[in-house]
Amino acid sequence: MLEMQHISKVYRTELIETHALRDFNLKVDEGEFVAVTGPSGSGKTTFLNIAGLLETFNSGTYKLDGESVNELSDDARSRIRNQKIGFIFQSFNLIPDLDLYDNVDVPLRYRGFAASERKRRINQSLELVGLASRMKHVPAQLSGGQQQRVAIARALAGEPRFLLADEPTGNLDSLMARQVLDLLEEINRGGTTVIMVTHDAELARRAHRNVQVMDGKVSDLSPYEPRPLNEGAMAAARA
Amino acid sequence: MFGYHLRLGLKSLKRNPVLTALMIGAIGLGVGVCLTTLNVYHLVSGNPIAARNDVLYAVQLDNWDPQDPWDDDNAQMPPTEVTHREAMAILASDIPDRKVVMHKGAFVLAPGDENSEVKPYIVELRLTTGDFFPMFATPFKYGSGWDRAADASAEAVIVLSKKSNDTVFGGEDSVGKMVKLDDREYRVVGVLDEWRPVPKFYDLNNGSFDEIEEGFIPFSRSEMLEVTSAGNTNCWKPEPINSYREFLNSECVWIQAWVELGSADKVAAFQSFLDGYVTEQKKTGRFQRPMNNKLNRPDQWLEANEVVADDNRVLLGISFMFLAVCLLNTVGLLLAKFSGAAARVSLHRALGASRSMIFRQHLIEVSIIGIAGGLLGLLLGYLGLLSLRQLYNGYDDLTRLNWDVGFMAMGIALLAGIVAGLYPTWRIMRLQPAPYLKTQ
Amino acid sequence: MEIRPILSAMLRNKTGVILVALQIAITLAVVTNAVFIINQRLEKIGRPSGMDTDNLIFVQSFGYSPGYNHQVTIREDLDTLRAMNGVIAATPINGVPLSGGGSATTYSIGPEESHPDEAGNYYEVDEQGLDALGVKLVAGRNFTPDIIDYATGPSSKMVPEIIMTRAMAKKMYGTEDVVGKRAYDNLGQSAVIVGVIDQMLGAWVNWDKLPQVVFHPYVGYGPLIRYAVRVEPGQRQALIKEIETKLGESNTTRVISWVRPHDYDIERSYKADTRMAVFLGSLIVLLVTMTALGIVGLASFSVNARVKQIGTRRAVGARRVDILRYFMVENWLLTTGGVVVGAILSFALSFWLSNQFELPKLNPAYVGIGVLAMWVVGQLAVLVPAQRAASIPPAIATRTV
Repeated sequence: MLEMQHISKVYRTELIETHALRDFNLKVDEGEFVAVTGPSGSGKTTFLNIAGLLETFNSGTYKLDGESVNELSDDARSRIRNQKIGFIFQSFNLIPDLDLYDNVDVPLRYRGFAASERKRRINQSLELVGLASRMKHVPAQLSGGQQQRVAIARALAGEPRFLLADEPTGNLDSLMARQVLDLLEEINRGGTTVIMVTHDAELARRAHRNVQVMDGKVSDLSPYEPRPLNEGAMAAARA
Repeated sequence: MFGYHLRLGLKSLKRNPVLTALMIGAIGLGVGVCLTTLNVYHLVSGNPIAARNDVLYAVQLDNWDPQDPWDDDNAQMPPTEVTHREAMAILASDIPDRKVVMHKGAFVLAPGDENSEVKPYIVELRLTTGDFFPMFATPFKYGSGWDRAADASAEAVIVLSKKSNDTVFGGEDSVGKMVKLDDREYRVVGVLDEWRPVPKFYDLNNGSFDEIEEGFIPFSRSEMLEVTSAGNTNCWKPEPINSYREFLNSECVWIQAWVELGSADKVAAFQSFLDGYVTEQKKTGRFQRPMNNKLNRPDQWLEANEVVADDNRVLLGISFMFLAVCLLNTVGLLLAKFSGAAARVSLHRALGASRSMIFRQHLIEVSIIGIAGGLLGLLLGYLGLLSLRQLYNGYDDLTRLNWDVGFMAMGIALLAGIVAGLYPTWRIMRLQPAPYLKTQ
Repeated sequence: MEIRPILSAMLRNKTGVILVALQIAITLAVVTNAVFIINQRLEKIGRPSGMDTDNLIFVQSFGYSPGYNHQVTIREDLDTLRAMNGVIAATPINGVPLSGGGSATTYSIGPEESHPDEAGNYYEVDEQGLDALGVKLVAGRNFTPDIIDYATGPSSKMVPEIIMTRAMAKKMYGTEDVVGKRAYDNLGQSAVIVGVIDQMLGAWVNWDKLPQVVFHPYVGYGPLIRYAVRVEPGQRQALIKEIETKLGESNTTRVISWVRPHDYDIERSYKADTRMAVFLGSLIVLLVTMTALGIVGLASFSVNARVKQIGTRRAVGARRVDILRYFMVENWLLTTGGVVVGAILSFALSFWLSNQFELPKLNPAYVGIGVLAMWVVGQLAVLVPAQRAASIPPAIATRTV
């Protein structure tokens, strides 16, 4: 369970203060698939960074699995990221000079698993995204959709409780986008909580719940409404 | 984890080969230059008789001009050599375990065998008491030195250096054979093995870095043959010298004197013997300067004789300033490199790498640069010494790579790499990952 | 071009700027002091010897056999040498000038203790001495053959006549006009000064009394004797061989230890100075190269980091030359910061060197020239990355990556 109450985040430079989040409240339950939408500069990414413990915040409370995280040391935060959270980025962020196997290996190394355990998990997660046969390839030899699937495999290898995705399909064409989203849904059905930031309303509609962020605040909490997975319906979504 | 960090570090270095080469080159060059000067400095400042440092003493007595000290810059410094009269007095004392009085002399050396191909040639010999060999722990290839009876009877015996034995006898065991010095026959009693005391601590008056003499004969033959010094002779007193006898009785200093004193009691006893001797001499009108008899251990002796030239120190200092510039350069290059690595490091952080892991990984990376720079520095330092050999011709000993210094250079390189890497590594460790994850 | 925006951009990469400025500062400090030391050494090495060094040969003979006769040997050797084709003059001499070995004694202008002593190098030669060394007599006359004293044993007797350099005359008497005056040894014996020579250097190159040289009409008692032989230009190599053979074979009661050109000993004497100059010179080259690389590195880095910004500037109308100038001005500011610190460091280093090692204080002109040189080096080093920056196409501004 992820719970944010009255979170505010201010960026200060010498000249200006920017309120990225102000009095931000959100609760995400175990097993949910939440889409966070909103226009550019609304605070979506800041929310995701805070949720993923990549950034600290100025006030409010944030509990992950009931544990308040803002007071944790940098090392403890690193450990939580490593064990409980998986990230997926818009630009995949694979390491170009490591092959797929080694890319997936990165978080497992920091986890301190034994070699045999790492091997099992890497094989398993590459299998899941359908790229086990190409594990000796480097990222540049793959298409964008495949790269993103490697990134997902990397996120899954640690068997995280939370999967945080930042515009996971932003750099992909629609066919590949759909494949990636199918994969996320499958993962969610397996019990992993998925939080996806996107500005694409069509994608957002496939989530259990939509959260709209506006000016650093949650402006709309639409309830869980299963919708038919229908092309036409998606096209009719509010644009 | 070390293996993994090492692998990532090597990968990272391969990613920017030019930058990596520049950094290794900078450290290598800085270390190479320091190695070169440090090597020379180490040798000129070394103590080749360190093993016997606590029992050997160079003797100084101040018989110099009452108006004018021996060393204008240091009035406390007595002459570095003694007169023949004082040499005799030191020789007469039975307090020291061993005693050496000696000087250099020029002779013409010829094989004893008339049929030898070797033509007579001029050599510098050392006229010394036989205690020289055990006192200064000289290595013998064949035979040995001579005993005190040979000293007393001014026996015609000679110990050859390895070099002259190679020249005259083709390196064979020549003990028992004869050589001629100025057409007089001498029996070879010993041949030294390779011996290169650097600096030539036992006689710093005549070329501190010269090679050893080509042979050794008893000091007592000096007076018998009326040999004058082939080294420095310094006189201060207006006194007529019209014969060798008058020269021996003059205030001219030209003899080096050393004693071996095995205990503190003996040191004290010998010091008071010298003081007593000078007190007696003062009554005869000699030694008009303040009482200033010194017993110098070898390390003190090297120091007092200022064997290390100021130029060596200046060069050493400037070399380290050069190393500093090389390090600043490396720091700059590392900062540039690591700032390019911000996105990758952020990703690792997002995937759960703690700060200390990032720190360790980059520290390993800079250590690799340090080690590679050290190896390069070792090579460059060696080449530097080779080219110095041109500049130091005749003093090959000073340009020989000393492995102590080599290891020190490796240490300096590794340390340099880490010092240069510390700030950039610290900076990248403190990096806030979030901003670098959004875009490539 | 405005400096303020460039400065504020530099301040954003403070560390990089400080690092390179520091490199420039240390480089300036080392280079000025090193060049200063090198120049002193070169001046020292380049001092005129006063002798015809290029055409001088020195020979050493050492008699060892019981049958050796010193006087006869010298007579025969000199006859042999002087009869050789291409030999201008030859003299016995007690030491090789500028070789690091020789004799010195003190002279004073009166017999009383109250007169201060003045030390001088002395050379014992015969009547061909001045001609053999190639020194220039500027007043008085040479020694005549009849007063040369061929010694047979140690003696403290003063020679009857001496010739000295102008430097020695000036030092002793305060004037060069000394012909006919007397000089005294420390036993109260005196000699009349019969001639003055223009200039000549003595034995030890590091001795401050090197130009104080006195000639004695005297030939030592042996068994060691040296000869100075002056030859026609271009004949030296051939004559060295000839002398080795002729003297070597003429007399077997002695050995000829060596026959060598004067340069041999001079080079040896100045070896430490040559070494210092060469070593420091190489260090300067390496140091300046290293610093130039540092400047190139920093500039390349800042060009890379600002590709988009530069493209944007070009898009809004900056010309290539504006971009070029931007980086040149930036480098100029950086170098200026470095040399200001460097100038202070130069004097600090000089102060330390002169305190610690009794070296002379740095001439400020060197710092001035050093600053100019650093500016030039900086501008040259930044040229390549600046040109690369200037060639960034404006279209880059519209690309997303």
